[in-house]
Amino acid sequence: MLRIESVHKVFNKNTPDEFIALKSLNLSVSEGEFVTVIGGNGAGKSTVFNIISGSILCDSGVVELDGTDITYMPVYKRASYVGRIFQDPMKGTAPSLTVGENLIIAYMKSMKKNNLSIPSSKEKNYIKERLADLKLGLEDRLNTKIGLLSGGQRQAVALVMATLVKPKLLLLDEHTAALDPVSAEAVMELTEKIVTENNITTLMITHNITSALDYGSRTIMMDLGEIIIDVCGEERKKLTVQELVSQYK
Amino acid sequence: MSLTSFIGAIELGLVYSLLAFGTYISFKILNVADLTVDGSFVLGAAASAVFTFSGNPVLGLIVAIAAGALAGTITAVLQTKMGIQPILSGILTMTGLYSVNLTVMGGKANIPLLNKTSIFTYAEQLFPGRGYKIAALFIIIAFVFAILNWFFRTQLGLSIRATGDNEEMCKASSIDTDFIKIVGFSLSNAIVALSGALVAQMQQSADVNMGAGMVVISFASIIIGSTIIKNKNITLGLLSVIIGSLIYRFIIALILTTNFPPSYLKLISSLIVITALSFPNIKKKMDVRKLERRRLHAKN
Repeated sequence: MLRIESVHKVFNKNTPDEFIALKSLNLSVSEGEFVTVIGGNGAGKSTVFNIISGSILCDSGVVELDGTDITYMPVYKRASYVGRIFQDPMKGTAPSLTVGENLIIAYMKSMKKNNLSIPSSKEKNYIKERLADLKLGLEDRLNTKIGLLSGGQRQAVALVMATLVKPKLLLLDEHTAALDPVSAEAVMELTEKIVTENNITTLMITHNITSALDYGSRTIMMDLGEIIIDVCGEERKKLTVQELVSQYK
Repeated sequence: MSLTSFIGAIELGLVYSLLAFGTYISFKILNVADLTVDGSFVLGAAASAVFTFSGNPVLGLIVAIAAGALAGTITAVLQTKMGIQPILSGILTMTGLYSVNLTVMGGKANIPLLNKTSIFTYAEQLFPGRGYKIAALFIIIAFVFAILNWFFRTQLGLSIRATGDNEEMCKASSIDTDFIKIVGFSLSNAIVALSGALVAQMQQSADVNMGAGMVVISFASIIIGSTIIKNKNITLGLLSVIIGSLIYRFIIALILTTNFPPSYLKLISSLIVITALSFPNIKKKMDVRKLERRRLHAKN
């Protein structure tokens, strides 16, 4: 599904601040896998996400999604295959548009609707049902400006937006880190529910080692631009939080 | 206020509400103060005047719309594809347009249209009485209003609103935000040019300097409107612009009935915008002061 081959990225090349963010990184993720990504600050986790979603380009190497080379595809084009949710709840939604309008934009765009079409009541109903799945009561607040919702609610809406039409790949960039513990837990459970029910191939960066092991089917740990641990199955089940934390240094 | 100046204020309020529709799209929806407006307004007036002079007033309006759209496209391309700051992009297009406008007007600074047939001549035949200009403008504005009100509910229109609100989110939702801005700014300046075109036919002349201060005038209308209709959706937003533009013209008409020198009108427009934009900030500071004083009072 996702194949990253010898991807290399250096920031501030040929300056005293030169920093090798990714060292000939290789990573393959198969269909339906839910990979949790951990590692210290500066390990290269976000750089991998930025390269997959296209907000930065790699110096060399290939990024392939479902057999298509997307290494140099513009962000907005690959966005129809790659859904991404950011740490900052403010980033994923347009605050002065209503909940309904935000979802409509995400839905119509991924359905490749005509630019001048107006959402039909059938499409509006579909969106309402998907919101109702969250069980947060947001389906009654379709006409509320999204800027008035809490961070957790906004992140939940962003999650629905990214998965209204099943993406080939879902990138979760510490998407619960800015939320309070209760909201973080709720959003995390919604994430798992949506991802497993729809069998969405997912990469999730987290600093919460417990969730890195509790959720998903595979865990990778990065350090200095390389993958230093890559576990799944039985081996992963045996792994403890302490063991992983000790790897941070 | 005499009946003539009352009718005059309504006419001006209506024709300039189109200008304010245009800047509403750039200033309120795309979140950029687009200074192209000062140039594209004259561009519309110039195109309209040239065609009206040769006897084609309707064609003049259509050419004006197209020319305005082109001017907006240039500003948007400077911003998006060339990476020039939004404000500067507008200034560059506006400055360049000065020469273009002079060229369109055949090198003359002024085109008089006295005794030429304009769309208002047709309107006079259709609607006898003093309100014929108002009737004609009302029909045109209702038409533009209906189109915009529909357009901002479509996928493309929603994308324009979302781009002004959160560009990163739009890119992540596979929206080509460069294209969206080009559409937004060309639509905005097309309407501004239409406004200029109608002003030229209504006042029976086009002047190369008639665009000075149009950005500020339209902001004043938008701001006055937004204080009257708050927390609005797109329909109410557009309506508030018309109301704001009408009120602005009544304020000006009232000032003109006094002995106040008309040369100060632009200064007044600026002051209206400054007051309205700075009001929230000043109010916040005053509220903090009030709270502090109250606490001090309670302590004593």
